[in-house]
Amino acid sequence: MSHPKSMPLILIIDDEPPIRRAVRNAFGDAARVIEAATGSDGIDQTAASRPDLVILDLGLPDISGLDVCREVRRWSPVPILVLSARHADAEKVALLDGGADDYLTKPFSTTELQARVRALLRRAAASPETGATSITIGELSLDVSARTLRRQGELVHLTPTEWDLLRALMTHAGRTLTHQQLFHEVWSGRQYGDAQQYLRVYVAQLRRKVETDPLRPRYITTEPGVGYRFIGLTDATG
Amino acid sequence: MPLDKWAPAGWHWLLWALIASGVTLLLLLLRPSLDKSHFALTYLLLVLAGSAVGGHRIGFALAVASFLLFDWFFLPPYGTLGIANAADWLVLATFAIVSGVAAQLVHRLRREAASARERTIEVDRFAALGASTLNVANARDALSAITDVISQRLRLETCRIHPMLSTLRSGSSAPDSLIAWVIANGCTAIGIRDGTTRLTSASGLPDAGLDDACRVLLPLHVRDRVAGVLEIAANRLTIAPAETRFLNALIPYAALAVERVELEATAGHAEQLRESDRLKNALLASVSHDLRTPLTTIMAVAHDLGGKDPRAALIEEEAGRLNRMVGDLLDLSRVQSGTSLTAVELNAVDDLVGAALQRVAGATSGRDVRVTLEDGGTLLLGTFDLAASVRILVNLIENAAKHAPDGSIELDVARRGAWLELRVSDRGRGVDELDRDRIFAPFYRPSGTLPDVQGSGLGLAIARGLAESQGGALTYLPRPGGGSSFILKLAAADLA
Repeated sequence: MSHPKSMPLILIIDDEPPIRRAVRNAFGDAARVIEAATGSDGIDQTAASRPDLVILDLGLPDISGLDVCREVRRWSPVPILVLSARHADAEKVALLDGGADDYLTKPFSTTELQARVRALLRRAAASPETGATSITIGELSLDVSARTLRRQGELVHLTPTEWDLLRALMTHAGRTLTHQQLFHEVWSGRQYGDAQQYLRVYVAQLRRKVETDPLRPRYITTEPGVGYRFIGLTDATG
Repeated sequence: MPLDKWAPAGWHWLLWALIASGVTLLLLLLRPSLDKSHFALTYLLLVLAGSAVGGHRIGFALAVASFLLFDWFFLPPYGTLGIANAADWLVLATFAIVSGVAAQLVHRLRREAASARERTIEVDRFAALGASTLNVANARDALSAITDVISQRLRLETCRIHPMLSTLRSGSSAPDSLIAWVIANGCTAIGIRDGTTRLTSASGLPDAGLDDACRVLLPLHVRDRVAGVLEIAANRLTIAPAETRFLNALIPYAALAVERVELEATAGHAEQLRESDRLKNALLASVSHDLRTPLTTIMAVAHDLGGKDPRAALIEEEAGRLNRMVGDLLDLSRVQSGTSLTAVELNAVDDLVGAALQRVAGATSGRDVRVTLEDGGTLLLGTFDLAASVRILVNLIENAAKHAPDGSIELDVARRGAWLELRVSDRGRGVDELDRDRIFAPFYRPSGTLPDVQGSGLGLAIARGLAESQGGALTYLPRPGGGSSFILKLAAADLA
């Protein structure tokens, strides 16, 4: 990211000047940062400047952060990182379901912000969601066309539900998927009974097959009250 | 109903005497051309008319008079009460019986009609009273409407309703001990003119025994409790049976009115509570936003200074600590305001333990947390709020790490019947017996706490609050061999 030509453009939408300054300082020469103080200005700038990433504060004076998120998501796949001062899980779930890619709870450390932004940019650049026939993260190697999973080269037997669940998690590695999103990925179009309620049970069973110690998962982590996240490439290698 | 109203006035007697004479004269003129049965029927008609219009006394008088007149003028031999033809005795006797019975029947009909009219008036009065008590804007007005009606109808000097709540609340005027007795026992008390009191074992106004009473206290029952007391008093209480019925019928209305006063008061109180709750939540939301935004800036600036000044790391660390304290205070107020957890659902213990271990990884700084899962190879499941339960476990593990700097921390999970039992144990110095309940109180730090243990003293209070708000429990047990065990109980679940 140090090369000026590949310098990403980050838009920070926040009504508090100190936060905008803090974000600007956090990236120094590593990124160009433009600012918007209101939600409507933020939406306009997203359309006009086509940033590589949007950092969105929730406590905006004019429009709710969730509405900004939904509006931008209607016409742009730009990664959105949300900053929130409240740590209400329901709010996080609503944001992720509304199209946000990740969230940070205030106060956050600069290191954390940098790491999240780096991960989001790398993921957006790789855009692995289409075309990839195999995904390898750590010891796990998922062959999408053959519908197989190898752990340290050995085949692991998975039920169809477990396999779909793992594929959903791994194709969105590094990103928190809400229960609703996972349910949609795995069970949509299928007959199901109490599947949504038992998502947690399927995850626990899946962990017992892919994790060395299911109580100290290296791959599938729980975001209490929000959903699940497969540790991303950046997390795993970094 | 007062029968004396029916006593006919003198001119009634005169009128019916004239009518009877007129009829007799008319019949005398027609005597040669008519049969005796015609006379009997005509007199019968007279008796019926008299009974219907003039009342039963006139009816009976007319029956006797008709009997005599019929016999005297129209049964041969004329001009005597004697009877020539033996068959005429039958006619006479039949006439006497029929006219007597007819007068009696008409009388009874009239009486029933009158009593029905009375009842209709009474029902109308109750309906009007009910409507007015239910419709008045203020519940207190309903009470006075009822007492007004009672005191008018019973000619009382005093008629008051004492709602129980205000009776018990009014500290200024010492509550009448007799009123207190009525409330406590739910039975009527009667004050006698000589100053003594008669306590009864029934509610309502008794039918008899009020001759020497000057004051009666009646309990007002709402379902199974006494909501208030109706007090009636007069120098000389004279209550007719109809009035007793009236009063006893009114008592449920009075009780309802009292209940309405209570409900209005409760509703007002609830409204105040809601308002203060709303204010509190708005305040908390704004505090959390307004504190966290500057904290973010402070941490960012400290980070920028990082390389140049070693004190910057301290600023960042302290800002983090301040943030945790703000979070603790917010959580505590949330727990104490009784906000119930909405995300109580089926969860796996794996998720709970895994997320908690991940959270404490930094705080326990490499300390070993040994986990034993007594699951017999199957998943342990429960119905609980995952985020809240993670918070509880994190607080317990961090607590153990702080207070027991040496030795391992152990987390044992097992199913015990309908409960999941999660036990966090350490080998610290334990908790003195005196402190074992107090450690769960907010801001309490037991004596002998290690000097460099930091914390707001809220962790256990929050943990217990969160446990109880999802139907679980958090308790302390001294650990055999030294140290502490905290036991978190959550509802276990099975796969259907």
